[in-house]
Amino acid sequence: MARTKGVAGKIVRYLLLIVVCAWTLAPVAWMVSLSFKGPTEWYAPNIIPAQPIVDNYINLFIPTNPIGGSHFFTSITEPITKPLINSLIVAGFGTLFAVLVGFLAAYGVSRYRAGGTFTIFFTLLTRMLPGATFVAPLMVFYSSIHFIDTYVGLILLYTAVTLTYAIWLMKGFIDEIPPEWEEAALLEGASPWTVLRKVTIPLTKGGLAASALFIFILNWSEFLFALVISVTQVTTLPVQISKYVSAVGRMYGTQASIGIIATIPSVALGYLIQKHLVTGFTFGRIR
Amino acid sequence: MPKLVVKNIRKVFGTFEAVKNVSFQVEEKETLCLLGPSGCGKTTTLRIIAGLEVPTSGEVFVDAVFVNDVPPQKRQIGLVFQDYAIFPHLSVFENIAYGLRVRKMPVAQMERKVHETAALVDVESILDVPGKKLGLSEMQRVAIGRSIALDPKLLLLDEPLSNIDAKARERMRVELGKLQKEIGIATVYVTHDQLEAMTLADRIAVMRNGLIDQIGTTGEIYDNARTLFVADFIGSPSMNLIDCELVYSEQRAILKSGDFTLDITEFAETIKGKPKGEELVFGIRPEDVSIDIKKTDPTAIEAEVRLVELLGAKSIYHLKIRGLTVLAKDYPMAEVNFGSKVWATFNKDKLHLFDKKTEEAIF
Amino acid sequence: MEITDRLAQWMGKTESFKKLSTLPLSLVLNFVLIVPFAIMIYLSFTKWEPLVGYDWWRAPTAGIPRFIEAFGDVRLAWALIRTATFVAVVLPLEFLLGLGMALLFLGDFRGKKAFTSIILYPMMMPWVVVGLGFYLMFQYFGPVNLLILRPVFGEGAMIDWFTDPVLAFSVIMVADIWQWTPLMFLIIYAGLAAVPRRLVEAAEVLGASPSRILRTVRLPLIKPLVVIALIIRGLEAFKVFDIVYIMTGGGPGGNLTEVISLYVYKLAIVYNNTSYACAVSLIIMVAIALITRLAIRPLEVKVE
Repeated sequence: MARTKGVAGKIVRYLLLIVVCAWTLAPVAWMVSLSFKGPTEWYAPNIIPAQPIVDNYINLFIPTNPIGGSHFFTSITEPITKPLINSLIVAGFGTLFAVLVGFLAAYGVSRYRAGGTFTIFFTLLTRMLPGATFVAPLMVFYSSIHFIDTYVGLILLYTAVTLTYAIWLMKGFIDEIPPEWEEAALLEGASPWTVLRKVTIPLTKGGLAASALFIFILNWSEFLFALVISVTQVTTLPVQISKYVSAVGRMYGTQASIGIIATIPSVALGYLIQKHLVTGFTFGRIR
Repeated sequence: MPKLVVKNIRKVFGTFEAVKNVSFQVEEKETLCLLGPSGCGKTTTLRIIAGLEVPTSGEVFVDAVFVNDVPPQKRQIGLVFQDYAIFPHLSVFENIAYGLRVRKMPVAQMERKVHETAALVDVESILDVPGKKLGLSEMQRVAIGRSIALDPKLLLLDEPLSNIDAKARERMRVELGKLQKEIGIATVYVTHDQLEAMTLADRIAVMRNGLIDQIGTTGEIYDNARTLFVADFIGSPSMNLIDCELVYSEQRAILKSGDFTLDITEFAETIKGKPKGEELVFGIRPEDVSIDIKKTDPTAIEAEVRLVELLGAKSIYHLKIRGLTVLAKDYPMAEVNFGSKVWATFNKDKLHLFDKKTEEAIF
Repeated sequence: MEITDRLAQWMGKTESFKKLSTLPLSLVLNFVLIVPFAIMIYLSFTKWEPLVGYDWWRAPTAGIPRFIEAFGDVRLAWALIRTATFVAVVLPLEFLLGLGMALLFLGDFRGKKAFTSIILYPMMMPWVVVGLGFYLMFQYFGPVNLLILRPVFGEGAMIDWFTDPVLAFSVIMVADIWQWTPLMFLIIYAGLAAVPRRLVEAAEVLGASPSRILRTVRLPLIKPLVVIALIIRGLEAFKVFDIVYIMTGGGPGGNLTEVISLYVYKLAIVYNNTSYACAVSLIIMVAIALITRLAIRPLEVKVE
């Protein structure tokens, strides 16, 4: 291997790497570019805006009348602060509950072999089936108990849906801790709860945090259920984006800016847990 | 025409000089052993010969061809790794056939060759077994078979027996020795076990800190150690090495260590010119120290037995002689136990003397 | 306070802990998933829609006709075919591109960490934003047309991507590939890096060229990993919804890029054809459960 890559090989490698990077950065680069462009430049090919503006972003929060005149179809009539906050609330609590319930269950399964094979299989099943197949009965059920367009309804749904990830991820972290330490504590008379509190949790803190962040990213990005459950109150950011794309027509700049805003938190968090991404997406099968 | 010529090899990793200056030759059908403690540079040297590392300076010639720039694929050298590196996903057959397939050997010929090789290393019964299911000694044989199937010009072995437990190791050592005689390829063998080296090699190069301390036949290394290190490293149990100084008294040359004295006047010629009082080390192998209950030899010295190790044909006696601890290897004697008083005789023909500072042998 | 004391005591015991630990899990799952699932089964045997006038639990049982309807549903068949095509195209491409990238990254070079970081971020983006991004890029006056096609092939080469169903579907596939190739890359790379260096060196000494080593040593050894990755990615690809919704909404022509998730969604939410949606959902669920159970069980045993 030492001799087979000469200088030519190195150049080829770097060239290819640049191509791959360009391909990877292109969509976001274009969106960033658009988001700083005024309407006159939306149809232009230049990547660097000739006259950069921040109006697109400002308009998201403080809607004014149609940017760039009346030949666009509609305007933005409401600020995105509400969807933004909704996303935070729903994703945040959904993650919190998923982590709590999932951690407990993962611990029970890992240390005490709680739950039969059915439980495990069922949690896997929730990921295998398309979300859309749940939507019909879900609507019926939720409207009967008045959960439509409620925070509780959506948060519970998110919890249920991400539980699989939560359990598999955290079980992996729990398994890494040698059980001897917990057994020692148990022998000294501590109850399983105390053991959890004093031994397991401090040791798996890192893994828990990584799992939580991963699930948060999933919840933040979630679209289908939010689309179905929300009407006016719990609209999340992804849903709002979809509204813009259909209703707002060709307001590229504004669409781009809301896209960028929605992306920033999840990518930022994603970089924090970079190493764990593969583990997360493969249910802990591949570390 | 030597099969392998290694000239002034030097290899530096960052700031660490793994190999300082190594040169040697290996003839056809000869087995040379690179012997030394871990970290001495022997494995690095081997890898350089194989082409897996590029020397910082120095030359390697295989079959009189300069191979420094030749990649390992083309050197026609066989290499058996310490952990054998058997392809776990391939069967034994496929492992051995691997190199043959690379050469696009016709199928019939290849199958014959594989069976031949398998017979040679005694793996015919497990040809279908996948690599990951093999036991250690099976893996070793497959690794060797895999290398020799290609009829390489040179065979390199990196500590092939260090992974095997002690009991099996003896058996494998014998098998390996037989195999080497049968195959007859020039071989370079790396190990840290001096017993292995002594039994398997024709010549040994004792290495230390990236340099060769001494290179010679097994007999030469054993009888004529040129440095203190070689003397100490070779031999089981190790040579007795005792710090002493040279004194002259009444026309006699005497080695003195504490209360212990040893008359070496017969070697006065050899050590002429050595000033008295110089720090020296004298060495004698335990098998050259004999003991007796009675003083049969006039030069025998009184000794007290501190420990007796019963090893079978011979026993090892830990003696205390005038404050010094000396090991003697002699026949078992029922009457000799802890605390017994015996007479120890040193075979002066087998005496070694080293300069303590330079560590070189005087004789 | 005796009751709470006894309760606390009981809770502390190992036996009860075991049951308690999965209790919240069961509660949530039962409530959020199993109840709707039961409703779904029930409803698929009825004929009911939200606006029909009576409550759903009073709906008359109508037997099997819903299921028979499903088998005659052409739009459903097309949706399934499209989704299958989607998976069949996207999966191998993601694998090959991921493999290519992994090979590119093999070995040490300056800036490796930085390049790796850049490559990863598509996985972290919300699905809808990925759809949005590609939607914006492939607009008629977007960069793909303006910066690539027009300068290279001239004015007439500009394409209206979203009015042609095949082209639009291709753009959707490109978006998915863009987002998930990094995942395949990571998995494959991890696998390749885990191949012991000794084995590669052994192959080298035996005369194998780098491409031969790749074929005969590296790839076979990462097979189990790759299989898992493909299965997981395949299942997710089958469920694709967000990017289709954002980029085409199923169009052009209303349903020419409709994938199965989108069709079921429309049945349930847009057309309010609830009981039929339930029937279709049930059929799909059963099919997936069966297929995965049959295909994965033997594989799992082998891989473990």
